[in-house]
Amino acid sequence: MPELSLTVNEHRYEVEAPIEMSLAHVLREVVGLTGTKIACNEGHCGACTVQVDGMPTLSCITLAHTVSGEITTIEGLRDHPLIDAFVRADAVQCGFCTPGQVVSAAALVAANPSPTIDDIRHTMAGNICRCGTYPRIEEAILHWRD
Amino acid sequence: MELLRPSSLDDLNGGLMIHGGTEVVPLLRDGILKADTLVDIRGIVPRGVKGNRIGVGTTLAELEGSTAIPEALREACRLAASPQLRNMSSIGGNLLQSTRCWYWRLKYPCHLHGGDRCHAREGEHREHAIFANDYCASAHPSDVAAALLALDARLHTTKRELPIADLYRLPDEADRHVTTLEPGEVILELELPAVEASVYLKAMDRQRWAFPQVGVAAARVAGEVRLGLAGVAPIPWLLTGPEALDAATPLPRTAWKVDVARALVRRALDRL
Ligand SMILES: Cc1cc2nc3c(=O)[nH]c(=O)nc-3n(C[C@H](O)[C@H](O)[C@H](O)COP(=O)(O)OP(=O)(O)OC[C@H]3O[C@@H](n4cnc5c(N)ncnc54)[C@H](O)[C@@H]3O)c2cc1C
Ligand code: SF4
Ligand code: FES
Ligand code: FES
Repeated sequence: MPELSLTVNEHRYEVEAPIEMSLAHVLREVVGLTGTKIACNEGHCGACTVQVDGMPTLSCITLAHTVSGEITTIEGLRDHPLIDAFVRADAVQCGFCTPGQVVSAAALVAANPSPTIDDIRHTMAGNICRCGTYPRIEEAILHWRD
Repeated sequence: MELLRPSSLDDLNGGLMIHGGTEVVPLLRDGILKADTLVDIRGIVPRGVKGNRIGVGTTLAELEGSTAIPEALREACRLAASPQLRNMSSIGGNLLQSTRCWYWRLKYPCHLHGGDRCHAREGEHREHAIFANDYCASAHPSDVAAALLALDARLHTTKRELPIADLYRLPDEADRHVTTLEPGEVILELELPAVEASVYLKAMDRQRWAFPQVGVAAARVAGEVRLGLAGVAPIPWLLTGPEALDAATPLPRTAWKVDVARALVRRALDRL
């Protein structure tokens, strides 16, 4: 099987995976990092969002073999202040969308530490929350440093 | 399956080209596209904006933030897809995206798949076309192509130079393709003329992150006003003027799109 070398959360992984396997699948089933979720598996919902070189990317429609940049998953954001902000704002209901939300939000506040509501709505639009926790997600991001 | 990463255009030799993969990966998974060889063209396709030229490897996210391009194109990129998809999507791949017609995506043996009828005409077609919809009623989903059509952009490929309008063709019994791209032909750059003013307006089912139900780009180029529409025909649609909407041929459940298009065209021309 084709070999593949991935940098995830600053660790290097040397694994084997078929060319057609998605990054989401490799992260979850091969590398063993299951924080990244797969919901729609076709690019519509954002549950599978990871950062590649800091850029929010849909891992379900990315082939792992095409990734050369550094990957950050929710596991790599364990100590990010956003985690606490999401808890404070109670921005989690079922929690399935939350890893993707935090990964997108982390990229947002890295680029723009004081986002307006409009910035948040534009930049978080690709992360769907079926439980409808949007107002609380916005609140968590608005007050992420408090 | 194998994955090739050529380092020059001369090394290209068949295979399915993949850039951001946002179209290729889902279509491969669904079996609509088939390939033994994938060719990652990110290393050989130009990227970035230089003067009036745009490398087709430039992402929609990069263009959404660029002040060096006309407003209609910037806005079409900003309103397209979702932030993650804009990070991944090349503008070249965007021009070549396939229809979102659900019959086609679900592999119904329809005209566009080489079959003998259009399932949408008889079936569900609320999101379908109001022009040129007798053979295939699909609605072209590219915001970006509508903007480029209004802007009168030209494409440079490995084989030719052409106005963007000539990249597209209506499918018919003899040929079901909606583009004129030849096998192995690679789009390299877009070239824009001097644009005096331009706007892009988009009607969606929700306010963010949706395909265009109707998208209207208007541009003033060399004193002439041009209108490019998304979501109204199987290919990006050049409208000769507001009155051309009187010639629309909506299906029973796409008549509402004519009204939306009329309103957007009026607003776009007002803002120009
Ligand atoms: C869920 C979803 C929602 C979307 N919403 C919108 C929207 O609202 N508005 C909109 O305009 N678009 C939308 N898109 C389309 C999206 O912008 C395109 O999928 C994207 O731009 C394709 O670029 P890519 O680099 O990922 O292409 P790929 O998937 O890599 O390639 C697409 C096709 O183009 C070919 N190709 C790519 N580059 C070249 C080249 N240089 N020369 C020749 N052939 C080439 C490939 O072989 C393939 O056939 C959406 C897509 C998805 C998946
Ligand atoms: S609209 Fe086009 S793609 Fe959809 S069913 Fe009809 S022929 Fe097929
Ligand atoms: S699981 Fe990737 S976008 Fe839904
Ligand atoms: S918390 Fe349930 S989908 Fe967002």
